[in-house]
Amino acid sequence: MAVVEYKDVSRIYPGSEIPAVNTLNLTVASGELLVLVGPSGSGKSTALRMLAGLEPANEGSIHIDGADVTDFEPQQRDIAMVFQNYALYPQMTVAGNMGFALKQRKVPKAEREAKVLEAARILDLEPYLDRKPKNLSGGQRQRVAMGRAIVREPKVFLMDEPLSNLDAKLRVQTRAELADLQARLGVTTVYVTHDQVEAMTMGHRVAVLKDGFLQQVDAPKELYHRPANRFVAGFIGSPAMNLIPTDRIDGKVTFGSFQVPLDAQTEKALASQPGVAFTVGIRPEHLQLVTSGIPGEVKLLEELGSESYIHVQVQHEDRDQILVVRTDGDATVSRGSTVNVGFNGPVHLFGEDGLRIE
Amino acid sequence: MVEQQRIEPADNGTSGKGGGRARKSSFLSEAWKRRLPLLPAFLIVVVLTQVPFLMSIYFSLTRWRANTAEPREFIGVDNYIDLVSNSFFWSAAWNSILMTVVSVGLSLLFGTGLALLLDRKFFGQGFARTLIITPFLVMPVVAGLVWKNQMLNSSFGVINWFIEGLGMEPISFASRYPLWTIVVVLVWQWTPFMMLIILAGLQGQSSSVLEAAKVDGANGVSTFFQITLPHLRSYLELGALLGVIYLSQVYDHIRVITRGTGSANLPYFVYLRSIGGGWQFGAASAYSIVVVIFSFIIANFGLRVLSGLLTDEGA
Repeated sequence: MAVVEYKDVSRIYPGSEIPAVNTLNLTVASGELLVLVGPSGSGKSTALRMLAGLEPANEGSIHIDGADVTDFEPQQRDIAMVFQNYALYPQMTVAGNMGFALKQRKVPKAEREAKVLEAARILDLEPYLDRKPKNLSGGQRQRVAMGRAIVREPKVFLMDEPLSNLDAKLRVQTRAELADLQARLGVTTVYVTHDQVEAMTMGHRVAVLKDGFLQQVDAPKELYHRPANRFVAGFIGSPAMNLIPTDRIDGKVTFGSFQVPLDAQTEKALASQPGVAFTVGIRPEHLQLVTSGIPGEVKLLEELGSESYIHVQVQHEDRDQILVVRTDGDATVSRGSTVNVGFNGPVHLFGEDGLRIE
Repeated sequence: MVEQQRIEPADNGTSGKGGGRARKSSFLSEAWKRRLPLLPAFLIVVVLTQVPFLMSIYFSLTRWRANTAEPREFIGVDNYIDLVSNSFFWSAAWNSILMTVVSVGLSLLFGTGLALLLDRKFFGQGFARTLIITPFLVMPVVAGLVWKNQMLNSSFGVINWFIEGLGMEPISFASRYPLWTIVVVLVWQWTPFMMLIILAGLQGQSSSVLEAAKVDGANGVSTFFQITLPHLRSYLELGALLGVIYLSQVYDHIRVITRGTGSANLPYFVYLRSIGGGWQFGAASAYSIVVVIFSFIIANFGLRVLSGLLTDEGA
């Protein structure tokens, strides 16, 4: 149980001008599972590696449980890390892998074996303790990597895309198991992923990074319903939010011949905005097919069974605009047919600088 | 390799039956289209290696002195029996073993050390690597001459210049420590080779495994002995076996530096008994057959290790 703090942390790789992580300020509460999510190159892995001590911080400081660990070696930080490729020791058995850290700490053999056995029991690895990693399946290797981390009883778990080498079905299953395990152990965890679904389903809070900058850190629901900027709005949610560039006319945001419905507060905020260019964001589930609305042509139909995503091309401010509409699976439209799209829920508005207006 | 060869004929069999009639223009089967271009090389190898080997086996069963008028005479295994009681042979065999084992061991040790130093980024890394590899590129005879004269000569060698500078008597290494002089030169030449193999092994090690060890609390020394060394095991075995195969056949260095005095190994002994002045081709053939048998055993073992290495890495 430990609090992790990043204070104005930056990392500039040698030979690069642009920081991979730029003045990151972030606090992870004790026992929390915080997910760092972002596209590749966003700095999420660098942030994690700095916490592990595998990468130096050029500026700022990192604290674990109040102690400044910025200049500590990884060995001194009392953290355990799960790597994307698992990084198991190939010449050692499963038991050897899991007991390695304890052996380094000169834990007596009997105690070591008891702890390894206990972790193996939690992870269903008991039958495989004598196997070498190469004789294990991907899922089993992943569990060994987890086991290696939990045997240590560290202050913080660091996980660097631990599920990305598993196939889709196993990933979903392991995702739930991992979240459950973390909740049971109650160890502060920093989890890196590029998969926003993983971030949303696992994280107590999710920190979204882009180009080294922290965009927003919030609970998954908050992130979804109140994205702080255009990037977060587009990154979180599947299918992605419809982001439509729009100009303000007569103090109103219009869409074709329709006026975008805004609540009073947003309208007030809008009035004080200097620019004329805005982005309207509408989640696909907040659009629907109606009898009279914005007319458009169905360009693509994605049917998932339980629901369908209908890509409709509409005319907006003299250009073509694709709107993705999420409907239930019974939708009876076909490609090329003409439909009408209407609003059915909250609309997000982002200013010229990309920030949320409300 | 073997499995592929086994699959190919079956493959050709089925496609050949179907395609044979359709394409009348092709008068060669698929298999022969592949074999034919290899045939000349294959024949040359057979003529140049297998035939002389068979002839050697026959010669080893004869008494044949090239410097007398005696005709060649079949004497059965007498040459092999003489070999057992020949003290020169045993001393040459002992020299062979000592020279090979010590040289291979030391060059592996130094090679591993250098590889560890080179397996990190630093300014001039490529240049340093090239310099270190250079001894391996020098011809054995040239290496022998350089060491014998420029380095070790008792009146104008560099090393004796240092020794005299320290106020000590110069040492004529080649005559006082002939075997160890050869070993030093061999280690100097073969350390780069071992370094290359070990370096390949080090660079094949996943960096995240080393990072995991760091996070798990292992320091540099325990990471090396518990993780890197086990990983390098098959590379060390490969280096040792290739080294043994090559170094058990050393001739040039001995010829140039000591002319065999106190340092003749089996190949040099064979040379001395035959074209090196002994002219006993029958007996020399017997010795060389013994050497070949030993080399064959070592090489076979080596190939097994090599294939083990490849399958291990593939998994």
